[in-house]
Parts: sequence; C-alpha cells; structure tokens
Amino acid sequence: MSQSRVIIVLSSILALAVFVLNGMVDDWGRLSGGTENLVIFIQESLWPPDWSVIEPQAYPVCTVYPAFDFTCSTAWIGMIETIKIAFVSTVLGMLISLPVSLLAARNLNPSWISYPARFFLAASRSLPSIIWAIFFVILIGFGPLSGVLAMTVYTVGYLGKLQYEAIEGLTKPPLDASQAMGLSKTETAIGVVIPECANDLISQAIFMFEYNFRHGTVIGIVGAGGIGYYINLYLKFLQYDKVIAYLIIIFVVVILIDMISIYARSFFNEEGDAKAPSWMGVFVPEIISSRLRRLRWE
Amino acid sequence: MSDEKGTIPAIIRLQDVVIGYSSANPLVRIPNLEIFPGEIVAIAGPSGVGKTTLLRTIAGLVRPISGIVEVCGEISPSRPKRGELGYVPQRLGLIRHASVLHNVMLGANAGHKPRWSPIPSSMAKDRAIQAISSMGLSEKTKEPIRRLSGGQQRRVATARTLAQSPSLIMADEFLSELDDETMSTVLSAVTNYIRENNAALLVVEHDVSRARKMADRMLVIDDGRVNPFITETTAVEVKV
Repeated sequence: MSQSRVIIVLSSILALAVFVLNGMVDDWGRLSGGTENLVIFIQESLWPPDWSVIEPQAYPVCTVYPAFDFTCSTAWIGMIETIKIAFVSTVLGMLISLPVSLLAARNLNPSWISYPARFFLAASRSLPSIIWAIFFVILIGFGPLSGVLAMTVYTVGYLGKLQYEAIEGLTKPPLDASQAMGLSKTETAIGVVIPECANDLISQAIFMFEYNFRHGTVIGIVGAGGIGYYINLYLKFLQYDKVIAYLIIIFVVVILIDMISIYARSFFNEEGDAKAPSWMGVFVPEIISSRLRRLRWE
Repeated sequence: MSDEKGTIPAIIRLQDVVIGYSSANPLVRIPNLEIFPGEIVAIAGPSGVGKTTLLRTIAGLVRPISGIVEVCGEISPSRPKRGELGYVPQRLGLIRHASVLHNVMLGANAGHKPRWSPIPSSMAKDRAIQAISSMGLSEKTKEPIRRLSGGQQRRVATARTLAQSPSLIMADEFLSELDDETMSTVLSAVTNYIRENNAALLVVEHDVSRARKMADRMLVIDDGRVNPFITETTAVEVKV
C-alpha cells in the first residue's frame, strides 16, 4: 500500500471515530466545567491522603512488635488478602486452563474436540471477573472464597485463550516428528507441546497473576474480599482522602509486582538470561530509558 | 525387486502412488518402489519437486492422492507399530527449550516404553544415552537445544531417531550443515545401525555425489529437468 493510501485509510478511520463519538455525546459544553470540578474535588476531598489506613486497627488489638504494627492495618490486611486471592486463583486457573487449552488447540485435535473446549473457555471469559464475583457472592456469600472462585473462572477463560494461541503457534516439525514416531496424544502434550511452549506458558501465568492482582482490588467492591472491600467501605462514607491513600498503596504495589513480573519473565525469554529491571523502565519504554541512563553516565 | 530378495517382506512398498497436497495439483508419481531390510536408498532431485512430501507421505503425515503405501506391513492410512518408523525432518522438529536428553528420550520412549506407562524404562534411558554418545554429544546432554549449533542440533535429531531403534529411518537432508569429520561420524553411526539391525534407511539428499556414495540404490524425482521427454513428474530408479 502506498504512503498516500495509508494516510487516506488512517484519516478515514479517525474521521469515522470522531463521527461516532459525536453521535454519542449530546452536549460538548459539559467538558468545559470538568477541570474546575476536578480541582475542587482534589482540594476539598482527596488531598492530602489520610494515611491512618496504614495504622493498626483499634480492634482486634494489635499484638505484634511495634515496628511491624502496620501489619495490623486495614491497608496491609486488605492488600495481603488481594495478593492471596490473585495467587490462588492464578494457580487454580492455570491447573484447569492448561488441559482445556491442550484440547482447544486446533493443531492437536480435530474440530469436534477443539470447538467445545473453545466454547467452554469463551463462556468463562465472556463475563468480566466483577460479574463473576457478584454471582459467587450471591451463591456462597461475602468473603475471599467468592473472590477466589470468580477470579479462577475468569483466569480459566483468559489464560486458556492465551495458552491455546501459544500452542497453535507451535511450529509443525516437532509435532510431525512425534506423530511419525508414534507417540500418543498425552505423550505429545507432556513431552513436546508443554516443554516447547513452556516459556510462553510461564510468562503468561506471571502476567495473569499481575492482572488478577489489579482486578482483585476491584472485586472487593462487591464484597468478594481484598482491599476493594475497604475502598468500597470508605467510598460509602465519602471519606475520599482514605480512598486515595488506598489507591496510592495499590499503585505502588502494582509497580512492585510489575517489576517482579518483568524480572521473573526475563528468565523465560528466548535466551533465558535475566536482566534486572530498572524503576525507569517500568514507566517509560526501554528505548527511552536506556538513552536517559546513558545521558546520566556521560 | 521382491524376486531378488526372495520371501523377505519389504519395509516400504509403494504401488502406483501419486502424492501431493491436493488431487488438482499432484506432485510426483511413483510407479513402483520396494525397500528391503538392510538397504539404504537415497532420493534425489531438484528442489521443490516433492522429495520431502514423498517422505511425509511414507511417514503417514500426508495422505497419498492414490495408490498403495505400505510401511512395515501396514497399508496407509493404518500406521506402523509405535516406534517402528524413525523420522528426521528437514527442520529437525526438536524442542528448543528442552535439553538434549529430553529430546532424545522422546525417541527412546517411542521405541522402548509402552504407550500406557508413565515412567520411562531403564532400557529407554540407556538407549538414549548410548545414542547421544554415538553422535559425540555426551558433554551436551543437559544443554538446551537453543544453545547448540545447527550441526549439533542435526546430530541430536539423528540421535533421537537412533534411540528409538526403528526398523525404518527416514531422514531429510540429515547430513547438511555438518563438517566433514562430523558427517563421517554421523553417517557411520547410522549406516552401522542399519547394517547391524537389518533396518532400512530412506534418505533425501540434494547432493547427488554424496547420495551415490552412501546409498545402495537411488531414486531420482524428475520434473523434466533431468529427462526432458517425461510428461509428468515421476520417481525413477537410477544406477548408483
């Protein structure tokens, strides 16, 4: 495609998007007052954050060593519960999604096996985790178990799709060789497919944990445990300064998990050599951060 | 050919076979081909003529358009017994992130472990280690495939097939990318295996002089570039 055609196509898509947006917005004037409202909201309700959320709760009485009394705070308790929910649901989700994705891969199975497996994965993915959380809260009541089940169901669907796409991306020769040798489907799955896709599978699982953590903060809002429970609680009491404190804590933990995730995934890249991530690399693309680092040393 | 070998059954028997990926575009016609135990047969011909497809058809990975393909007594689409057929694809088919031992164990398991057993037999492991050592790769046993050179990877693929102890080895240009010394090591390991075990080797080789040196018989697939008088791409046997 020539350059002028590319420009015409891209401009047409952009024009279509503007046209569609314009059809959805009834009054553009509402945008003009938004900034002023935001400033008032930040000055009067959000800032400064109320850091009492990292102080120990009055009840139950905190009995740990004073230097560690933050572990009795709602922020710590909620955060740890969210991490636990994310971890357990990623592990359970992976255990279920892997065999299903092996069945769903079209290069391993005929369509009468792969399509029902894909249907199952699509069904568990079609609802967002928060809707699953509402469903499980109705079914089994409030608490982290509902969160774990909701996140597990969603993980099965989401991770399963990533997994069967990785499996379908497998080159044909290893499968040809194993078929010619006469290896069974199970032997091929365990001995050929999983080892060949292992890096992708591990990397996806780490990504899924990070994703589940971020979503785990949201599902608490509907009563499925984790830090979202406390956010919802303070939102109801209009204590936005406490809410912003929780959000800052979540942001910091997300960055930490993101860094650990980048580091862990770097062990499973093509060469298998870990590269220590930098703080800057989390916020800006590698190409810019490496140039900035070079400038700093010059 | 069967008269010459008396009552010994052929390991491969092709009878008026047409191969290709669709009947609208047939690649090669093979009027008659029989390969017996202990024989080494090379397939040569210009690139893109259908040599690899012929190997894939015999391996049961592609269905013939017409004709009879019989391998180890089983007529296609029925497949030979587990482990009887060893195949070294042109692109090797190794698991890049797994170790040399893991890759070779796949072949050893196909040949020496029952399908239902979850644990490899000690014989399978012995056979794998022996095959790795015959290819001069003992020091690389635990190394992942991605860290090996192209020639070393080719040797691993050959070791995987030897570890299987098959009755028939089919290799697609398994000697390319090898230096002279390694090539003679690999070739002697494979030919020794064929002679000692009365197995058969069917090898695709683009280097005709090398094919003549190693093979007992040679099959040339000609699309008119060798013999301009032929009307369709045909496999013909030529003198070695």
